[in-house]
Amino acid sequence: MNHKKFTSDIVIGLEIHAELNTKTKLFCSCPTKGNEEPNTRTCPTCLGMPGSKPVLNKKAVEFALKLCLALGCEISPELIFSRKSYFYPDMAKNYQITQYEVPLGKKGKLKLSNGKEVGITRVHMEEDPASLIHPAGMKESQYVLVDYNRSGNPLVEIVTEPDLTSPDEAREFMKQLITVLDYLEIFDINGGIIKADANISIKESSYKRVEIKNITGFKEIERALLYEVKRQKEEAHKIEQETRSWDSERGVTFSLRKKETEEDYGYIIDTDLVAIEIEDKWVSGLRKHMPELAQDKVRKFIDKYKIKKDDAEILASDKQLAEMFEKVAEEIDPLLAAKWIRKELLRVLNYNKKSLTESGITEIQMIDLLKLVERKHITENVASKILEMLSADFDVNKYVKKEGLEAVSDISELEKYCREAIEENPKAVEDYKKGGARALNFIVGAVMRKTKGKATPKEVNEIILKLIK
Amino acid sequence: MSAKNFIDKIKNQEIDIVEHTEKILGECKEINKEYGYFNTISEGLALEQAKEIRKQLKNSSKNLKNKKLLGIAISAKDAICVKGVETTAGSKILQNYKPLFDAFVIQKVKEEGGIIIGKTAQDEFGFGTFSINSAFGIPKNPFDTERSCGGSSGGAAGLSQKLANHIALGESTGGSITTPASFCGVYGLCPTYGRVSRCGLIDFANSLDKIGPMGKTIEDVALLMNVIAGHDANDSTSLNEKSEDYEKYVKKPVKGMKIGIIKEAFGSGVEREVEKNVYNGIQELEEEGAKAEEVSLELPIKYGIPTYYMIATSEASTNLAKYCGMRYGAFEKLEGSFNEYFTKVRSNNFGEEVKRRIILGTFARMAGYRDAFYLKAAKVRTLMINEYKKAFRKFDALVSPTISILPPKFSDIEKLSPLQHYMIDVMTVSPNVAGLPHLNVPVGFEKNLPVGMLLIADHLQEGKLIQLGSVFGNE
Repeated sequence: MNHKKFTSDIVIGLEIHAELNTKTKLFCSCPTKGNEEPNTRTCPTCLGMPGSKPVLNKKAVEFALKLCLALGCEISPELIFSRKSYFYPDMAKNYQITQYEVPLGKKGKLKLSNGKEVGITRVHMEEDPASLIHPAGMKESQYVLVDYNRSGNPLVEIVTEPDLTSPDEAREFMKQLITVLDYLEIFDINGGIIKADANISIKESSYKRVEIKNITGFKEIERALLYEVKRQKEEAHKIEQETRSWDSERGVTFSLRKKETEEDYGYIIDTDLVAIEIEDKWVSGLRKHMPELAQDKVRKFIDKYKIKKDDAEILASDKQLAEMFEKVAEEIDPLLAAKWIRKELLRVLNYNKKSLTESGITEIQMIDLLKLVERKHITENVASKILEMLSADFDVNKYVKKEGLEAVSDISELEKYCREAIEENPKAVEDYKKGGARALNFIVGAVMRKTKGKATPKEVNEIILKLIK
Repeated sequence: MSAKNFIDKIKNQEIDIVEHTEKILGECKEINKEYGYFNTISEGLALEQAKEIRKQLKNSSKNLKNKKLLGIAISAKDAICVKGVETTAGSKILQNYKPLFDAFVIQKVKEEGGIIIGKTAQDEFGFGTFSINSAFGIPKNPFDTERSCGGSSGGAAGLSQKLANHIALGESTGGSITTPASFCGVYGLCPTYGRVSRCGLIDFANSLDKIGPMGKTIEDVALLMNVIAGHDANDSTSLNEKSEDYEKYVKKPVKGMKIGIIKEAFGSGVEREVEKNVYNGIQELEEEGAKAEEVSLELPIKYGIPTYYMIATSEASTNLAKYCGMRYGAFEKLEGSFNEYFTKVRSNNFGEEVKRRIILGTFARMAGYRDAFYLKAAKVRTLMINEYKKAFRKFDALVSPTISILPPKFSDIEKLSPLQHYMIDVMTVSPNVAGLPHLNVPVGFEKNLPVGMLLIADHLQEGKLIQLGSVFGNE
């Protein structure tokens, strides 16, 4: 590798494979999802039976074209598939139908949140191999089982330029890419597989290129690359060009093969599939119906709803969250909506380790909840607690009524609770009078318990002060 | 009896279809003993089909009224998948393999009431000119059992000569329909690439493979062509154009048609008896009013063979990768790594010619060589098509001998080197590379052996070939 062109200490390029969420496979009409019983979603084509022929799924091409458009790629005028030949037990035909000479898209770019643009070398389509199952673990198993349910699922491969300069940036890139895939609705954010191979080299080893295979998800990419940077720095003088694999369980990379000679896949055109002209009409039709992407949403959130850039970016980085925000912001104060969705809702989702879809929380529930907050019918405290309880069939209004959680705004009633609390805690009152400011909080807490959080601490505070004086 | 007459007799139950099928199957077994034309005789399927048709005839012959092949025996080259019937493509690696689905052409034949009688012998995966590269029996020439019936659709050609009321489904990649048709004295039509669906055909080379009809008369060939031609959504390379009524071209006058005699296909290297008979054939066409003149087609004759072998072996070497003893066909004792296992299965179950072509094809597409071989061959292919297209601006059909020699003795074939073997295909490979329809017409006999004339037409002009071919033979 010619290292003169590199200026950063760390150089990273990624090859990312993402599963397109079409209903049927790339070259046959078997479903991509459904029955998980092994080898049930198969046919002669995805099993590689003699005499079977591939027929292209146009929907998958459309999905891949959308990605090319979102990444600003030049789109090939023709769709051509090739055969990549190598023997492996997960390959139905011992060749993979992929794109080689002419990728669907090339010369694109993706912007990171810090504004940096990462070059996209190419975007191409290919079929997924079958999955291998090692019943007693990768190393120990005496035999391997093959499940062809996945065989022939449509994949899109995205290859970047070596523009990334840190593991953190690589993670950010993956994350941004997943967001794009999600916005385009071409990837199943909850169950879809996204994998990366990373090329990484560092200045200390004169940029000897090491390829790390088998990294799943954007959190893993950072872990794997952090490990690899550390390892390469420690062993800088003896780094060789090689291919390594990431072992997520042990958190280490290990060598697969040294002295990388380019693998020879003997590519030829797959003449079972005719070259298909990608007509301008088709592409412009898709372009016209492109959904809003994250960057469009950020701009819209700032301009239309006047929320802060920071909030807008966080909301837009998750399509489901952004869509919820838009609906909620139509009904209540956008600033309040932004604050609650960005902070409270995200807190609850993170705590439960669930995506918005998985949580079952609907925009109707959020609107109900935040309307109550906006009109001060419940306290923020109560709202937070309800948010934690939300699930698919939860009716916010009914619950508030049933549990009597409406905020206590009747001053006389509040005063009654406060008097009780003062009488029950003479020591705290005494401490406060002696200058123990914290003792006041204790009394406020007692009132809050009595009102089940239905009063606002600020109000309670004021009443107690008035009563003690 | 012509096919038309025969079908009428089946329809009005003058001939009992089950009895007739039993008789045919008996004849097949007899013929097979002496000539070895079958890899499998599908007795069970044939009788089942015949009984079903008889049942329907007894109930009401209404829905059988328009069946084009009712009761006609149809054989399929072994590379064509027939559901539930052993289909090996002549290879030990597929021994006992029974496909889960019918090839498109088999579906069509069944729909039209054709009786599938069996799978015919061929070179392993179609790799050969003489049908001697087979894991199973070697078919023998119907006129002299010491001679070859040609290949790779050898069984189909021989059976077409020997068995009455039968039409064969052959397959050609580089001449595998016309060459054996020539050696066995029958008609063999290789259609335009994409005219007949390849779905269910075990691949040799995907951009070259074509299924076509072979029969004793041009009427039979046109009849079966009418059944199998047409679009199939399950084969991406299938042409999405309506097919013609090919039977209407039979005996259509040829007066005024222009025939180009390929200059480079005559003279040195061509046996004189062959040349003489082909010239007689051309004369017959002229007597019927066709106009013949010489045309030079240097490129196809000069570069056809190397271009063909680069493309065909490159594609074949990838197609054959799937045979590794994992899911179907031959397997071996499971031991060692997957690489060792695959190697063992492939070493023990592929024939020598298959291994030769896998090595050739893999070499031609390796990085560093693919520019010089595989990619260059693809460019030459385009140039060849252009040269043919130029000729077809002037001519309705081109003519040459189908093969330069009379059917050779097996003992003489043994003396040929692989390269001499390959060179024998010089007349037939080029129309195959260009995807052009071509027809073998039996034009005469020499030393009691048949001689074939090759007619080539422009893409989708099968009709013209049938028209010209029907000038010959008055059976």
